[in-house]
Amino acid sequence: MKIQRKASSGTMQSSDLMVVVEPSETLQIEIESTVKKQFEHLIRAQITTTLEHLGVQTGRIQISDRGALDYAIAARIETAIKRSSEE
Amino acid sequence: MIDPSTLREARALIEAQGLRFETNIDDLVGLYENGQMIGCGARKGYVLKMLVIVPDHQGTGALGELVTRLILSGMAAGHETLFIYTAPQNASSFQALNFRLLVTQGPVALLEHGPGIEAYFNAHSSDITPGQNGAIVVNGNPFTWGHLHLVETAARQVDHLFLFVVREDLSAFPFDVRYRLAQEATAHLENLTVLDTSRYAVSAGTFPSYFLKHMDRVALAQMSLDIRLFAQRVAPRFHISSRFVGEEPLCPTTAAYNRVMSEVLQEHAIRWVMVPRLPAGGSAISATRVRTALIQNDFKTLETLVPPSTLAFLQSSAAQPIADHLRAQMSGDRS
Repeated sequence: MKIQRKASSGTMQSSDLMVVVEPSETLQIEIESTVKKQFEHLIRAQITTTLEHLGVQTGRIQISDRGALDYAIAARIETAIKRSSEE
Repeated sequence: MIDPSTLREARALIEAQGLRFETNIDDLVGLYENGQMIGCGARKGYVLKMLVIVPDHQGTGALGELVTRLILSGMAAGHETLFIYTAPQNASSFQALNFRLLVTQGPVALLEHGPGIEAYFNAHSSDITPGQNGAIVVNGNPFTWGHLHLVETAARQVDHLFLFVVREDLSAFPFDVRYRLAQEATAHLENLTVLDTSRYAVSAGTFPSYFLKHMDRVALAQMSLDIRLFAQRVAPRFHISSRFVGEEPLCPTTAAYNRVMSEVLQEHAIRWVMVPRLPAGGSAISATRVRTALIQNDFKTLETLVPPSTLAFLQSSAAQPIADHLRAQMSGDRS
């Protein structure tokens, strides 16, 4: 899948995250998280895995996380990417 | 358009919390439960305002819901980074929503959400050189001999000089013109970099009353916050140990700003240097005089006030709409 336009998903509720994706020539992942110190590497790994699974190679991915679990991260990323690649 | 009944409900909620209701907003979000508004928040440009949750719904995730909507609203309007002013004791509620504290000044804390100041620093990392550096912040509306005199005087006293041009587009000359004219007039100085202030100095976010030109307690508090942000966040990153300002005999806002600046910078061990104005034709050069001369098509006077690069712009067709706008404003003021 390819990021065609700016799109978002998720919320700023506790245990959730907000994802904003937009087109970019490179892959940029920007993470803001209340648990950034402890878990940034795991969040990044989860995002990377999800993007690989969806076949996304480029784009700017901004996330604002409030301690979401892996499956929530995957679901929110997938939703935002699908929204951004819809015709 | 926000419908009147929603506005009324929001107003009652906001005033019940002891906050002042402002009508100059771009968006208003209400949160409802069983048809009752239990919270609301507004956005003006990139600044979030008047966020209120009724007491018995605080700590229920209502704030997260409100902030989600406001972030989406800001994003739709092209604002990736959003500011919020709140009481210092509420800062942690916003930090839990990934807002970062920029600065605290008396009863006010300023926080931001989004790429923000770190992205600004990263974008300018190649401009940052170690040493005893200086800074000047100018609006440059437009750039005059007076600005150039200030810049040249400062450049001689420091290793590297950063000339910050106010990013906010609330002046007669648009930012891209003010920035370009500052660059052109200073191109001969090797130890100088022209930068934009982004939102981190004299912006509608940090110092809104600068653009309104009125002076009261609120304006003084805003100045102090604006300078604290510079002293605590911007100056250390750019290795700035001196800030230079032009003497201000004409504009009371700028004169007061300079006074507050000298006090706050001293607290942060940053040298504050006032450079006397360059006189021209018996009185000090100011951008205000330039605008007046421009309105009158008085190019003879303009020559004595601005460097050739600015003069060339003022004589070009690109300056016409600006002159027309200034004229219209003036006749508007008179009527």
